[in-house]
Amino acid sequence: MNTIQFLTTEWVWCPLALACAAGALVIYLRGVGWSRRGWWMVGAIASFLIALMSPLAALAQGYLFSAHMLQHILLLVLAPALALMALPKSTRVSGRISGLLHPAVCWGCGVAGMWIWHLPALCNAAAESRSVAAVQTVTLLGLGVAFWWQLLAPCEAQRIAPLHGVLYLFAACIACTVLGIILTFSPVTVCGAYLHPVDRLGIEPLIDGTWGMTPMRDQQIGGLIMWVPMCMVYLGAIFGQLARWYGAPSEPSTANLHTT
Amino acid sequence: MSESPEAVLESILSPDQRAHYQLAWLSTVDHKRIGILYLLTGTVFFVAGGLEALAMRLQLAVPNNHLVAPDTYNMLFTMHGTTMIFLVVMPLLFGLANYFVPLQIGARDMAFPRLNAFSFWLVPLGGILLHFSIVIGDASTVGWFAYAPLNETPYASRLGVDYWAISLLVLGIGSVGTAINLFTTVLCLRAPGMTLRRLPLFTWMNFINSFLVLAAIPVLNAALVMLLCDRLLNTHFFLPAEGGSPILWQHIFWAFGHPEVYILALPAFGIISEIIPVFSRKPIFGYEFVAGSTVAIALLSFGVWAHHMFTVGMGHAMDLFFAGSTMLIAIPTGVKVLNWTATMFRGRIRFNTPMLYCIAFLIQFLCGGISGVSHAIVPLDWQTKNSYYLVAHFHYVAVGGILFAILAAVHYWFPKMSGRMLSEKLGRWSFWLMVVGFNGTFMIQHFLGLAGMGRRIYTYPDLPGWGWMNMLSTVSSFFMAAAALVVLWNIGSAMLRGAPAGDNPWEAWTLEWATTSPPPVENFHALPPIHSRRPLWDDAHPERPDPVVGPDHEGTARPDKYRSAMVAFVLSEGAFFGTLILAFLYFNVQPQQGPTPKSLDLLKTGVFSICLFASSFTMWRSEKALHRGSNRGMIAWLSLTIALGGVFICGQGLEYQNLLAHGMLIDTNLFATTFFTLTGFHGIHVMVGLLLMLIVLGLAMAGVFKSKPPPALAMVGIYWHFVDIVWILVLTVVYILPRFL
Repeated sequence: MNTIQFLTTEWVWCPLALACAAGALVIYLRGVGWSRRGWWMVGAIASFLIALMSPLAALAQGYLFSAHMLQHILLLVLAPALALMALPKSTRVSGRISGLLHPAVCWGCGVAGMWIWHLPALCNAAAESRSVAAVQTVTLLGLGVAFWWQLLAPCEAQRIAPLHGVLYLFAACIACTVLGIILTFSPVTVCGAYLHPVDRLGIEPLIDGTWGMTPMRDQQIGGLIMWVPMCMVYLGAIFGQLARWYGAPSEPSTANLHTT
Repeated sequence: MSESPEAVLESILSPDQRAHYQLAWLSTVDHKRIGILYLLTGTVFFVAGGLEALAMRLQLAVPNNHLVAPDTYNMLFTMHGTTMIFLVVMPLLFGLANYFVPLQIGARDMAFPRLNAFSFWLVPLGGILLHFSIVIGDASTVGWFAYAPLNETPYASRLGVDYWAISLLVLGIGSVGTAINLFTTVLCLRAPGMTLRRLPLFTWMNFINSFLVLAAIPVLNAALVMLLCDRLLNTHFFLPAEGGSPILWQHIFWAFGHPEVYILALPAFGIISEIIPVFSRKPIFGYEFVAGSTVAIALLSFGVWAHHMFTVGMGHAMDLFFAGSTMLIAIPTGVKVLNWTATMFRGRIRFNTPMLYCIAFLIQFLCGGISGVSHAIVPLDWQTKNSYYLVAHFHYVAVGGILFAILAAVHYWFPKMSGRMLSEKLGRWSFWLMVVGFNGTFMIQHFLGLAGMGRRIYTYPDLPGWGWMNMLSTVSSFFMAAAALVVLWNIGSAMLRGAPAGDNPWEAWTLEWATTSPPPVENFHALPPIHSRRPLWDDAHPERPDPVVGPDHEGTARPDKYRSAMVAFVLSEGAFFGTLILAFLYFNVQPQQGPTPKSLDLLKTGVFSICLFASSFTMWRSEKALHRGSNRGMIAWLSLTIALGGVFICGQGLEYQNLLAHGMLIDTNLFATTFFTLTGFHGIHVMVGLLLMLIVLGLAMAGVFKSKPPPALAMVGIYWHFVDIVWILVLTVVYILPRFL
């Protein structure tokens, strides 16, 4: 099997994920209706499906730690952010829930999503058991929404101030950098399940031979994904915050109109 | 024009005070005088570092030269690099920031004038420590980045590296102090109307830069502490024979070293962003992009350090990711160059000396940046890493970029600092000598490097072309020396008989030009209203003012300066402990031979830890009691906090005693080393916290706090909570986590 064959054939059939995606789209269209904003929702659903049904998912199921890490980023970072951006400005959450969404809580959610699922025991369980993986998917999406809520809440008033947003993202970047550094330089295997994969699909020769992947290098790439591209996502969001800050209206009157 | 500064002085000071003011440069806490002291100190060391460079160039002028001995040559390049970075460029930039940041935001002084003086005086102290090693003939010979294990006792057994490390620690502490001060000043002391969105770019970049200093310098301090442990306490952090890791030194050093490049570059960018609009007679093109790309550079600079290590053999995966991130950091820098160029486009440019230096900066920095990106291409880097190509690259950034920006700033702001104009004629002489000298010295080194000449060699064989290229480089370096002499001559003669400058000789529009030249002690008598980024323009052209930027009331309430400073301090301490904790993890993920984390007594430590955590609660109660106005409650809770902290530190003492009794010393193995350094530094912090609380308690009992609640308790509180949070991490990483691995 070569890489092209692998990419075209090894799609994972996951009816539950497909049903959830279809359900989300239907709810979105019925509740919000179609506008240009809807493309963000399409993006969110696409990254959700790529994470769970594409060849990436096949690799993440016990073959490659680095593929699992990409899946992690799609579910924790990309899909929730895109989904929030798809919501219309009028969307609000009730006072009780928004009271729970203190910036420190939200930040903690995002960082916990990254760290907790990389504790060796949980990481192994998620790689080996499909039900644990399902729990992982749900919690990652939920924690991701909580993390991005402070920055991308549809209603401007429920977001934190732009400069605080820069610090919020910077701190998150440091948290994932530290985890990335630990994973990259760790001389021991963090997620033992990927050490000796059961070759269900017969793609081990492709991974070992054509791609030249060793378990050590696999973990290193996983750590580097968490470290460098992840921080680039946060950096992009920091630009968003700066644009929001410099783009804020000059006249106090319009600012008041916006919040009332 | 307002009254002369002398007249103002006489009006506000008694004759005694005035005599003191004029003589007391040594005890000054005035930001302007400290700024000038920084500039003078930087100039003195510039002469030292420059002479070292000339000696090296003379040695390399002809092949097979024996002017200086190999070991002396090693001392020369080590001292030259260290001096130029830590004792020349950083003090010069801090000096300019010290002088002009408070003026640009309309403040009376820096937030903490005494801390400012303390930070400054650490520079001469560090410089003398470093240069004392020359006096005893033992200067460090291991290069400015002192790679392990060459920096270790078996390979550098004399005192040079110890002097080097201790002097950098001293300078590092000073830099952190300055960064806290600049951060707090910009955040808390801005004039009414000077919102963060309206900051002049020089101030904005120094503000962002203070974050970089706070996060990067403590990483170096941690590395130096480990190195000193190795050298003085016989531990083995970086000695491979005993299980240590020389690569770890490189990682930690460059995790500091790459942000350091931007610590030097960001203020230089700020200078350029001030001068180019003034001499192009246009507002800066795309303020938001220049300011925003600064933030991007600051963040990216922490994620690219491994590109200094492509030749280490980190593996293709690491190389690939860091090649990518390194290429990315060129983008925000490129955005800046584009903005500066676009500012000049269709401007009515005045080619005065400061502007000439800026234009040369743009071209030379672009060359340095492009040769920098070429180093991101890993295979090319493998070939050129330790060659003169690299030497040429970083001198194009550091001299052609940063030093030219500093010279631009000196020519631009000298009239403000002295009240006198520099000679344009001498300025042009110095500029052209500098441009010819600089490009002559370093342009040719690109080709020398590509022809295979390695850096740090004291001499070289007579290979085809090497002789004349080196000779050209040496001859040109004396042009640079001549340029430096002309600059100094220009400054000296202008001080004596320069034309009076007036308040605003360049028609610049930021606030430092709204006061007299030189500014009075109190800086401003009155400030113009501030609604945009060029308040003086609005004042001079009321018929067509700049567009108003943001609402005036935005952030009118300035944050509390004590709290802000403490948070900044805690941030830098966090970087220090973070490095120590990661080093602990690095060495202890796999169990060492000898004692391991499992030989620690978790139960006992757990009990003492609960005392420490409880003390955070009592500290909070103490602050609450003070807010309620209950002095007695505050004293009671504070005493309890001290008692709990004392119990904890006694518990730590008992644990140490027990471990030492069982033969676990700091040099037993790497677990013992990392354990004692990490918990030891935490213990020192606990003791400092206890000492501070005792002082506060003493003041409270003496009734000092009855009139108004002081910031001291809140500040000690922040520090104490931080010490507790660090202990949560240490407890997890050292005591709990290894039991599950």
